[in-house]
Amino acid sequence: MELTGLVGYTCSYIPVELLSATGLRPYRLLHGDINLSQKGEQLVRVDACPLVKSNLGFILENQKNFACIIGSTGCDMSRRMIEVVRFMTDIPVYLFNNPRTENFEIYANEIDLLVKELEQYFRRRFDKGVIQKECERWEKARQRLREIDARRRANPSTLSTKTFHGMVRYFHQGEIENITSEIPQEMSYKPRVYLLGSPLSYEAGPIIDLIEQRLRICGDFSCGLSRGIYIKVREKTLDGLKQSYFHQPPCIFRRPNKKYYEWVEKDVKETKSTGIIAIVLDYCDNFDFELLSMEKGLTLPILKLKSDFSYQNLSQLKVRIDAFIEVLGSYRGGIV
Amino acid sequence: MKKTKRIFPKKIGLSTWSKQFEEIPDETIKRHKYYNNSEWGIYLSPPATFMVYGARELQRLRFDNSIEALRMWGFVFNETERLFRARQINRKIIATTGDLGTVPVLVLSFPDCVPFYPECLWWTPFFKESTDLLDTASKLGLPEATCFSRVVASAFYKRSYFPKPDLIIGSTGASCDDYSCVMQVVENMGYDIMWVEIPFRRSPDFLLNKPRQQELEKTQLGFFYPKIIEDYLTREYQRIWQALFKLTGVNNPHRLVETIEKVNHLRNLVAEIKKLNADAEVAPLPALELMTIEFGNLYGYADFDEWLEIVKMIHNMVKRRVEKGIGVLKKDAIPIAWITPSADPYLLNLVEDLGCRVVDSEYVINQAMIQIEEKIEPMRALARSFINASLIGSPEERVKNIKGKIAKKLIKGVLITNMLGASHCSMETRIIERLLGDVPTLSIDVPAPFGITQQIKTRLEAFVETIK
Repeated sequence: MELTGLVGYTCSYIPVELLSATGLRPYRLLHGDINLSQKGEQLVRVDACPLVKSNLGFILENQKNFACIIGSTGCDMSRRMIEVVRFMTDIPVYLFNNPRTENFEIYANEIDLLVKELEQYFRRRFDKGVIQKECERWEKARQRLREIDARRRANPSTLSTKTFHGMVRYFHQGEIENITSEIPQEMSYKPRVYLLGSPLSYEAGPIIDLIEQRLRICGDFSCGLSRGIYIKVREKTLDGLKQSYFHQPPCIFRRPNKKYYEWVEKDVKETKSTGIIAIVLDYCDNFDFELLSMEKGLTLPILKLKSDFSYQNLSQLKVRIDAFIEVLGSYRGGIV
Repeated sequence: MKKTKRIFPKKIGLSTWSKQFEEIPDETIKRHKYYNNSEWGIYLSPPATFMVYGARELQRLRFDNSIEALRMWGFVFNETERLFRARQINRKIIATTGDLGTVPVLVLSFPDCVPFYPECLWWTPFFKESTDLLDTASKLGLPEATCFSRVVASAFYKRSYFPKPDLIIGSTGASCDDYSCVMQVVENMGYDIMWVEIPFRRSPDFLLNKPRQQELEKTQLGFFYPKIIEDYLTREYQRIWQALFKLTGVNNPHRLVETIEKVNHLRNLVAEIKKLNADAEVAPLPALELMTIEFGNLYGYADFDEWLEIVKMIHNMVKRRVEKGIGVLKKDAIPIAWITPSADPYLLNLVEDLGCRVVDSEYVINQAMIQIEEKIEPMRALARSFINASLIGSPEERVKNIKGKIAKKLIKGVLITNMLGASHCSMETRIIERLLGDVPTLSIDVPAPFGITQQIKTRLEAFVETIK
């Protein structure tokens, strides 16, 4: 994978179409690797979010590949990562005010300002034609991935999340032309679970693998997996972008965040999941705080897995997943 | 009438206070009352009273021995009673959370409305030397590696630290996520919260292109920002104003002008106290009292007018001490700066006992320390003052003043107190250490109650040795 001419970004509320309109490659910062994380610990304390530390490590290693990085106030630690990037590197950065509340006016304003900044910096005009072309291009990719995801969500599921994770990666790393058309047939009758929690990283293969040895993840609400592809841009204009991105599957960080639970509850039903697995990163406030609400709000049994990407605890995770399978079994049998 | 003996300034413990309290004439005790009510508003009592009611750490703490400081402590520790009393006399209780300093100015502009910050309860576990609130937070699902402000969820859950607010205003956005999540847990308990947006300041460093000068504004602390940020905040404050109008049925914009003047008067006094304290040859006031005074700028501890009187009295006392060249610490105490407030008050005593003196502080409340402009439209003036906020910009902006004083050799060391897992501490501290690298910097995690072990004392001692 060749890494040059990247426009880094950190949040699903930043329209990838606008970053792509610069002519460069939008690259979602979703790294989760213990070595990168340790490199990031040279700049922030150990109790910072592992995803942020890994992304910092990745950015430090690839400074010359980034034309700029666009951050957002969607999550405090990820916003402050941008401050660290600006302080420690020469990469130009921009911080997008992503409203936590239902304040569409601020969001629309901020999109206009982002367009102005990108146009001026990259000396390009984002006229209607450019916007429409990018909207079509990326909506086509999302549509394609939604069709693939339908296989995963089907009952029985015919695509593993491990494979899907490898495919959706192309979307997040701005290589939508590489989204394959050959889809392997991976039929599974294993117990169906729904995945949510902190963003799943590019390097999350081992943990997905471990889960899917005896379960099938058939739906998710994760920034590193399918959340972004359920943004449906119907009106291929700047206003259309604003509306569809603002009303995307709602982040748990929105205030209030009832809609997040409504979306997950609907999605869990649609995917006929029998259990929920919440993968929460250490010190990841938004999900760490909400686990109890999830248990109360979502009627299915929940397995909470904590991670700092070290995967040293894989054997413990395996034992816990096995125990969870028994819970699912007794839950389905109506014992619990 | 008992004649008050001349008292030489020093720090004293609880028992000394109790003896000294007996010297205070009854008229003085009766004169100081909150809500101007002489029947039940008396708050001047010795700290031992509050220690008996549970504030056990008071046995270990040492206070300024002035009547002014005693009056302050009586008033501060009396806040819970005051809030319940406010409910009894039909005042509206407004919980303002997350913005630390500006929304109360709006609330105080409405008759019979009492603003308070639940997050100021974060000191309670330490004053009470009790982990009860922290344990309750764990039972409510809040992780332990997070800011101590998580006790707010426990307080809302227990309903015994303040009456149920008539309105809860939750500020979120470019602010501390720990606290935003705490307030979401409170909302999940069934409380209605009016959420308000806090935008990021976005100084030119966080723009791709060099902005034209006319697109920028400049705050009093010298931070540049795009004008649009003012519009965002002004509209949010207008929304709050409408909500308070709906709640009270009163809409008198002129009261906001008066409130701003009153708030500016307080902030001016506190700024002078801080300056007197920093410039004096001998520290006239201990760091613990000074931190308590600074946090009074947020909302006046639920009786703004009485708090203003208290601060006036303290201001006069500090001036007198400085004029006489007397104070509570040794002359050779080492001047340090303190970044991010300590949840455990005992640390402020400890640092002074080890030979330091706090001459500057950045307690994440920059926005509550500066003057609000009085010659422009009040809502916009509030927005412009809030844009100085500590947590909505970069670490460099946060410590800009302290860095300047280090360069002038006025500060010899920096102490940063963190909370393990708190979102801004984990991300900013290393950068702040690099920024202030010209002097010894010590960053410690404030432990839970009872947690100040010998190890922390040793680190502090080593820090002081390094500075010496």
